Amino acid sequence: MRKNKQFIHVAMIAIVLGAIAAAVAYFGNWLPAPASREAGRIWFNFWAATIVSIVIFAVVSAAIIYSVIKFRAAPDDDSDGPSVHGHTRLEIAWTIIPTIIVVLLSVASAIVLHENSKAGPNPVKIQGIAQQYAFAFKYENGVQSGILRLPLGRHAALRLTALDVIHAFWVPDFGQKQDMVPGQTMTLVVTPTRLGTYPLICSHLCGLGHSIMRTSAIVMEPAAFEKWLADQKTALAGPPGEAGKTVFTNNGCAACHAFTAAGATGAVGPSLDDLSASATAAGQPLEDFIRESIVAPNKVAAKGYPANVMPQTFAQLPKDQLDALVTYIAENGKGGS
Amino acid sequence: MVAAHAEHHDVHHASAQGPRSPLGWILAAGYIRCLWTIPMMFGVGVGIMALVRWLEGWGPIWNGSIVTTLSLITIPLGFLGGIGAFDFWGRYCFGQPTEVDDHKSHGAKDWRGYFRVNTDHKVIGVQYVGTTIIFFMIGGLLAMIFRAELAQPGTQIVDTQTFNGLISVHAALMIFLFIVPVFAGLGNYVIPLMIGAPDMAFPKLNALSFWLLPMAGIMMVSSFLVPGGAFATGWTSYPPLADHQPLGQVFFNMGVQWAGASSIMTALNFLVTIITMRAPGMTFWRMPLLVWANFTTSLLVVFATPFIAGAQFFVAFDRVMHTHFFDPAHGGYPLGYQHIFWFYSHPAVYIMILPGFGIISEILSVMSRKPIFGYRLMAMSLMGILVLGFSVWAHHMFVAGMAGWLRVPMMLTTMLIAVPTGIKVFSWIATIWNGKITLNTPMLMSLGFLSMFLLGGLSGIYLGNVAIDIHAAETYFVVAHLHYVLFGGSVFTIYAGIYYWFPKMTGRMYSERLGKIHFWLTFVAFNLTFFPMHWLGLQGMPRRVADYAPEYGNWNLFISISSFALGASTLVFLYNMINSWVRGPKAPGNPWRALTLEWLVTSPPPLFNFEQIPTVVGHPYEYGVKGAQHAILNGPTTGTPAKVGAH
Repeated sequence: MRKNKQFIHVAMIAIVLGAIAAAVAYFGNWLPAPASREAGRIWFNFWAATIVSIVIFAVVSAAIIYSVIKFRAAPDDDSDGPSVHGHTRLEIAWTIIPTIIVVLLSVASAIVLHENSKAGPNPVKIQGIAQQYAFAFKYENGVQSGILRLPLGRHAALRLTALDVIHAFWVPDFGQKQDMVPGQTMTLVVTPTRLGTYPLICSHLCGLGHSIMRTSAIVMEPAAFEKWLADQKTALAGPPGEAGKTVFTNNGCAACHAFTAAGATGAVGPSLDDLSASATAAGQPLEDFIRESIVAPNKVAAKGYPANVMPQTFAQLPKDQLDALVTYIAENGKGGS
Repeated sequence: MVAAHAEHHDVHHASAQGPRSPLGWILAAGYIRCLWTIPMMFGVGVGIMALVRWLEGWGPIWNGSIVTTLSLITIPLGFLGGIGAFDFWGRYCFGQPTEVDDHKSHGAKDWRGYFRVNTDHKVIGVQYVGTTIIFFMIGGLLAMIFRAELAQPGTQIVDTQTFNGLISVHAALMIFLFIVPVFAGLGNYVIPLMIGAPDMAFPKLNALSFWLLPMAGIMMVSSFLVPGGAFATGWTSYPPLADHQPLGQVFFNMGVQWAGASSIMTALNFLVTIITMRAPGMTFWRMPLLVWANFTTSLLVVFATPFIAGAQFFVAFDRVMHTHFFDPAHGGYPLGYQHIFWFYSHPAVYIMILPGFGIISEILSVMSRKPIFGYRLMAMSLMGILVLGFSVWAHHMFVAGMAGWLRVPMMLTTMLIAVPTGIKVFSWIATIWNGKITLNTPMLMSLGFLSMFLLGGLSGIYLGNVAIDIHAAETYFVVAHLHYVLFGGSVFTIYAGIYYWFPKMTGRMYSERLGKIHFWLTFVAFNLTFFPMHWLGLQGMPRRVADYAPEYGNWNLFISISSFALGASTLVFLYNMINSWVRGPKAPGNPWRALTLEWLVTSPPPLFNFEQIPTVVGHPYEYGVKGAQHAILNGPTTGTPAKVGAH
């Protein structure tokens, strides 16, 4: 009889604790709303693990709390407890039941992992290159952009690598993450399910600029995506001024620099609105100065801005795009301020 | 017998401290000798570099970064030689008379005994615990600084490279200079007593392994002073980033060598001690679970630690010897480092928790007045963790870009390791169930451990699960998880152990009231600090960032304030320990009415632990069994200390 009563008390505490934990799980700010098919599957696994965890937490904590309340020795009680040394059936049970639970969770996880690495028959192929401290994404038609753009509902196969140290590709809303390792290329599949702009973050410590190594992933309607790709191609082939503006936008310059002509207001790096004074100070013609600042940013770092923050990735830009960018900044800077 | 001991030792000390000539002062082991041995060894390092560079025709002969790297090996050797860690072996090698049963460096008569090379395992144990707590405090202060920086988005207090240095040194100190060695310290004090031995098997090696430790710690802290700042690549120190960092990086590579060597020597000492020096009747199945835990941990240490030593040497070679182990531009393989590193550093997770499991098993049984539940399964589950622990390392690399097929098998082994761990948690609860619980500070800390480690284990189910880990890896979720297992887990067991054996170590009782205040402050502040990190991580805040998106500002401010409260809670602990050691009430030999051997002797124990060799006649946890005894002390007397020391 006493055993039954104890069991009921523990069960009651466990139900209360389980309810509290469930409330924390339900109302807590756990996961972003999934923006990819892969995230949906991962979230499913997450909630499965959460249900298991709530049950284990409730039962174990209830047993601890009940013991601490119920089995306290009185201050003058020097007697010992019952000399129970073990209980073979109980011990077998708490070996086998957890084994089954964790194996089931693992199987579910393995299935999700398998599904999440399928790129489908016709993926958008994009090459992702990381370098201290910026990302560059190259599309099949040669367009390069610092911001990742993806069509809605279509598999994207990202081929990821790095040039200097280890970085990582992570879009929290997509749930997918992959380290970008120099010397090897890894494929990551993302299938966006929601339009919008999402943060794209380097999640692997890559040096002093690690925390500013962020850009965006933009999910577009498929038609808009195709049009954007084609427009970029055309714009890059157009007059240097216009092509330069495209290069400026695509490579995320606006994230760090202010430039009135492009409506950019970034404050991490120096303003690009009037560079002629700096060029004079460096003793160079304006265009040469701008070019050098892009391909070798550490040579002359602007006053008050530390070296090694601006990525050196931009030295990799195709020559025509670099020329266009230099012309664009030189021509539009003077009138900007 | 006590009188005989004292007399014997007075004779020894008198002969050792006879009148000294000025030359004697300079040559005698101690800090004065360090004043010339350190510069001498520094000169040896410079000489080696100059010779090699001159022979190879490389200019300039002087290269600051190579000198620094070499000095991080030679200067500690100079210091160790200076304080006399090698004196016995040195004399032996040079054919000078040595006394095998030389006890003049054994035991501490006053506070000075704790500041010299000492071969008494009890002194070494206190030296370990004291030193590691100092580094615990420094590591905590570093955390306070970077939490202040993280209180608001943007950069306010330190620049990003310094920030990366702060988090790296914080982690390195907490792991290599606190959690790993503090368990070696507690074990050092308690294990010989628990198995009925007069000391560790190799007392001189024991002294040496302690003195390596402050070297490693000073090295890591002083890396802030070199040009370019402290090592800033996290405690994982992944190349190729670590290959191209400023000079401070070497201080990590070399610091780990000294801490690792210390760890390996102590582990070997524990293994030999436990295997060969158990009292008559102390079979393996009669050993207390803390002894089992230290045995298992020591096996992990000797198998695994050489791997991290190798990994750090390779990085140092890449830096100074132009090798290319991890440089992909020259055919190196960056992931190779991660495999070697985690082949140590995952077992290291168990090195940092198994001794804690042992401590908890002792305390829960004693304070509940019940035998430990399922003793044999408890011991076997330690062995299960030992074996499985070597087959899970790649779960730290699920997103690293390693061979894809490795993920699922490593997930399965990772998830399965929850089974032996679960067995332990369930058995502890069954131990306190129906007991006669005394809720004092060691017991509160043990229960705090049980509940916090449970949460850390549950978040481990998410991280071990590859699919979820792909989202949660490298985020604050991991920071939350690792602090729940290392702080909520290990640190609570360390506190529990320190309170539990404080009367034995110092002969004084601590303040129970302050102990309870310490527990509740720590417990609450800990949860407020680390629980919200789960949310931050899953929402999208990566770990190891000096700055973050503004929407995480509120929670970060909340975490920073809580972390300051957590930091403040340690002050209560420090005050209680220091004050009680100086003026606490005298402790009886066995304040907890425990059965294990260390409680059968006085507090603190006599110089050679047992005046009579104990005979073990039963199990260590027979609470509630009428007339049960673990050991009796009517065996043969131990004879003169000279004979005892012959071990």
